This record gives sequence, structure tokens and C-alpha cells, in this order.
Amino acid sequence: MDAAFWDKIRTYCRDEAAFENCQQMLLQELHPLEEAARNADFQLERHKALLHVITRLREPIDLEEIFQATAIEIRQLLAVDRVGMFRFHPDSGWDDGEFVSEDVDPEFSSAIAEPVHDHCFGDQFAVHYQAGRIQAVADIYDAGLSDCHIQVLAQFQVRANLVVPLLLGQNLWGLLCIHHCRGPRQWDPTEIEFVTQIAGHLGVALYHAELMVELRREILDRQQAEQRAHNLNQELRQAIVELKAVNKELEAFSYSVSHDLRAPLRSIDGFSQALLEDCLEHLDSNGRDYLQRIRAASQRMGQLIDDLLMLSRVTRSDLRRDAVDLSYLANQLCWDLQQIDPSRSINCVIQSNVVTQGDPLLLRVMMENLLSNAWKFTSKQPQALIEFGAMRLAEVNRPELNWAIDSTSPEQLVYFVRDNGVGFDMVYVDKLFQPFQRLHRINEFPGNGVGLATVQRVVRRHGGRVWAEGHLNQGATFYFTLMEGIEES
Amino acid sequence: MSGGAGQKVILLVEDNPDDEALAIRALKRHHISNEIVVAHDGVEALDYLFGTGLYEGRDVNIKPTVILLDLKLPRINGLEVLRRLREDDRTKLLPVVVLTTSSEEQDLLNSYSLGCNSYIRKPVDFVQFSEAIRQLGMYWLLMNEPPPN
Repeated sequence: MDAAFWDKIRTYCRDEAAFENCQQMLLQELHPLEEAARNADFQLERHKALLHVITRLREPIDLEEIFQATAIEIRQLLAVDRVGMFRFHPDSGWDDGEFVSEDVDPEFSSAIAEPVHDHCFGDQFAVHYQAGRIQAVADIYDAGLSDCHIQVLAQFQVRANLVVPLLLGQNLWGLLCIHHCRGPRQWDPTEIEFVTQIAGHLGVALYHAELMVELRREILDRQQAEQRAHNLNQELRQAIVELKAVNKELEAFSYSVSHDLRAPLRSIDGFSQALLEDCLEHLDSNGRDYLQRIRAASQRMGQLIDDLLMLSRVTRSDLRRDAVDLSYLANQLCWDLQQIDPSRSINCVIQSNVVTQGDPLLLRVMMENLLSNAWKFTSKQPQALIEFGAMRLAEVNRPELNWAIDSTSPEQLVYFVRDNGVGFDMVYVDKLFQPFQRLHRINEFPGNGVGLATVQRVVRRHGGRVWAEGHLNQGATFYFTLMEGIEES
Repeated sequence: MSGGAGQKVILLVEDNPDDEALAIRALKRHHISNEIVVAHDGVEALDYLFGTGLYEGRDVNIKPTVILLDLKLPRINGLEVLRRLREDDRTKLLPVVVLTTSSEEQDLLNSYSLGCNSYIRKPVDFVQFSEAIRQLGMYWLLMNEPPPN
């Protein structure tokens, strides 16, 4: 109250005693009002400061800026010497850390980047801070603090301090430290409440910053994954282009093999025959024999080219998928073979209704090769027997052969072609399916060793496996599987 | 050979001299004595059929009874010859037998799509080849009724 006010009051009073009474009464009434006004002012400032801080927190700026602005705001409002954000080093057990941000009165030293090692803190206080403890010390030399704690505070010239935990979720990330250096200072409950609120908001900011980091990492990961997928895609496309080119070349190659390679053979065979017809009287038996050999060789080579073309066709052709009656095929093929060589009597035992899914043409080629093999290698048997059928894998009597199959389901269907012919030595079983591999002399059993290679390719293109079992002079069995789902290979 | 109207002519379109010699030999040995005109590529074949180029001024009313057509030919290939003679009213009905080395699916498909009457793959075995030629000659020259001229 200024003097002019009291003078005015005095004029209303009878005498000095009445004035003093009146003054006394007014002061008593006014004092709490002034107190309330001061409080309201502070509250207003506090709310303004909080609003500033929260507004900043909502802007997408980085943590460092938020800390800096908040430190300035708090130091202004509380009129203290230093406000700092202290961060513990992760995995140091809260023994080590540093100030990462501060606002400090120029009269006092900066605490930034001063490494702090305080073993007793990690040991004794961290747990409490983690639980939300607040330390408000009016004078560090008069609060019963441990020596090591005082030492740490003294290095920053601290005299009074207010410390609030900065929590990231449930974890103690660091401390919001309010230092007063010029002398002791009492901490008002409203001040403590204000600083606690700020720390809460900083916790949210920390959480957001962490989310941001994770989000960035995720975005980066995703971008990298997308890049990888893109690269892979490019490579795949390139591979497809190359494959198509290779396929085209293969087509062209096969086409020209088919056309150009057989023509000279026809000349060799044709003119050998012409010699035999036109110059017979000039040839002795040797000469005739030689010409016959030339003819036989060119025809063998013609057959070989045809078989190789079939082998490449099996690889090249598009795969269809229909129901194929293997029993019907086997019957038909056995009948055809019988027509070609009616002199032989063979018992063909064919299980009926064996139907599978696959490419009708390729499966026919496969059955043709298997059955004509059986037919060929039983030619020396007085009682030849050829069998065709299907069984479950569990029934295959040599279970150690199951390595040959991807699917180990005992319910898997296994088809077989069995004969009681000349058989083979199991020592050579691995060579059976290689092109041009023959286990018998050419004059014993004709053939060029491409048939079983073709069988294997057909089976593989149907996602299956083929294997054989045999003994010398005790026949052979060829087993094969055909997967439900056809795979290209 | 006079190539007169009553004479049945075979047009053999073949670039390989060995195959030409062997085909002619096979025809002769089976006593098929018809005149054999040999065109060594697709251009010669079309010239013969339409009386152009090499065969400028030829009487194109004298048409071959059967054309034995190889597919792989220099300049204009067999499929193209087939396409052009099927497009032309003067030649669209002529019997054409594709006589070639390959039995590639695409060749078969293209030949039949373009309207060949028959497709024979030349066997390597000359005895078989000779027999095929004999049957061809018998069938197309003696048994088959040609289209009206």
C-alpha cells in the first residue's frame, strides 16, 4: 500500500488511534489477498510455461531442442541458477551418465559433457527414482547427504537442488535437475509439483522420440527390404529373359539338328544301298559286309538323333495336366509290342484302373520306354513276364530305397514296371539313368542308353522320383512316383 | 519328257542334291517314269508354278500332279511356298506332300495349317525311304483323283 492511500484513509478517521486500528484491520484483510494474488500470478506464469513446454512437445522437433527450450522456461520461472537434463548411460547400472542439456546462469560453470560417475547413486537411489521419488534439498550441506553424493553435487557448485526422475516408460532414463548455486533455497510445493509435471511431459517426449527412432529404423528396414525385393525382381526378370533366350536357342538348335543332322546320314545310307544294288558284282563278301556296316551305323545314328530330340522335347515342351490312365497305356503299349514281334509270347500282368494326373504325351513316352525296355531285356526268357502296377510306399519291399523320395508319407503312391529278364548288377544302379550309359553289349541288346534318361526327365518334370532295383539274371523293377502337384524342374 | 497335257508331272522341291538323286533313283527303281521337275529352292518352285523368272513363258496350265515339298529351303522356304500357292486360285487345289527331314511339332502344325495334303518324314534308312517314295508315287499318280483343271 502506498503512502497516498494511507493519507486518504487517515482523513476518514476521527484520530490517530482510530487510524491505526483501521490500518491494522485493513492490513489483516489485505495480507491474504496479496498473498493470493501473488500465488495466482505464479500459477498463471506456471501455466504459461507449461503451455509453452507442451506446445513445443507437440511440434515435431528433436529431443535436444525440447530439452533446451524446457530448461530455459523452468530457469526463468523458478529463478534458479541451473536447469539440466541428466542422462544415465545405458547398461552402466545408473552409475554413469552426463548432462545432455542445460540452461545455466553465466556466473556458474556449465555441467554439459562433464562425465558423472556416482557409484552410490546407482546403488542406493536409482530404484527409488525409478519408483518416482523426488529429491528436494534446500541446502546440500545440511540434509544428511552421503559424502560421495555431496562430492558429485559440489563439482557443479550446487547448494540447493531439486531432482525429479525422467522416466521412459517404466525405466529410469535420467534426471531433471534444478540447481541453485548462489546459496540455499527453499522449494515450494507448487514449484515441486510444476517440475514434476514438466518431467512427466518430458517422459512423453522421450517416449515419442524413441518411437520415432524405431519408426525410422522400421521405415529404413522396409525400404531396404523393398530395395532387396526390387533387386531380386530385377534379377529374376533378367534370369527369365536369359532363360527365354536360351530356350529359343535350344529350340533353334533342336530344329536344325532335326533337319540338318539326319540329311547326311540319309546320303550315307542311301548311296551305300545304291552301291549294293548297282555294283554288287564288283564287291566281294568283305565289301558287302562293310557297306552293310555303314548302313547299320548310319541308321543307329539316325535313331540316336531321334532319341536325343525326344529327350530335349521332354525337357522343352509345355506341361499339360490331365487325368492319365496308365493301365490303359500299358495295355495298349504291350499290345503294340506284341504286334511288332508276334513270335514272342509274353505274359503281361497289368493292374487295372491306375489313373494319375499328368501330361498325357510325356507319360506315354515314359511308359513306352519302360515297357519296351522290359520287352527287350526279357527277349532271352522262355517264360517272359512283364508287370505294371501301383502300391503304397509302405509296401515297397525295400524301404532303404525311400531316400529317393522327397515326401516320406507311407501313403505316397509308387508305380512300378517289373520284368523277369536279364536284370542288372546293382553296382551300376547309379549309371542306369545317365544318357548313353549302357550296361549290355550292343549286339546283345540293341539301344543307345537314352531311354531311361528320358524316363527320368519325364518323372522329374512331374515332381517325382524314379529308381531301380535288379539282380543279374533275376529281372529288374523300375519304381517311380508322380507328385500331385506338378513341378517344373 | 514332253510335259504335254496328258503327262503327269511331279514337282520335286529339294535343295539337297543327294536327296534329289536318291528320290529320283527311288522313283525310277519303282518304275515311276513320270516327268520329274526339280526346283532347288522356293523361288524356283514358285517360278515354275506361276511361269515367272526362270520359267518365264511356261504354259502354267500344265500343272504338276503332285508337289513333293521340302521345308528347309534357301531363299524362300517350303512353308512360304505352300502359303503362296494356297493363296493363288491357279494353284490352291494342287496336292502338296511335305517331304522333309524333321518331325518337329511346329513344322507339322504349320504345314497342316497352311493346307498340305500329306506330311512325310524322310527316314534315314534308304530302303524305308525308297518304299515311302514308291507308295507316294503309286498313291498320288495312280490312285488319287486330281482336282479338275
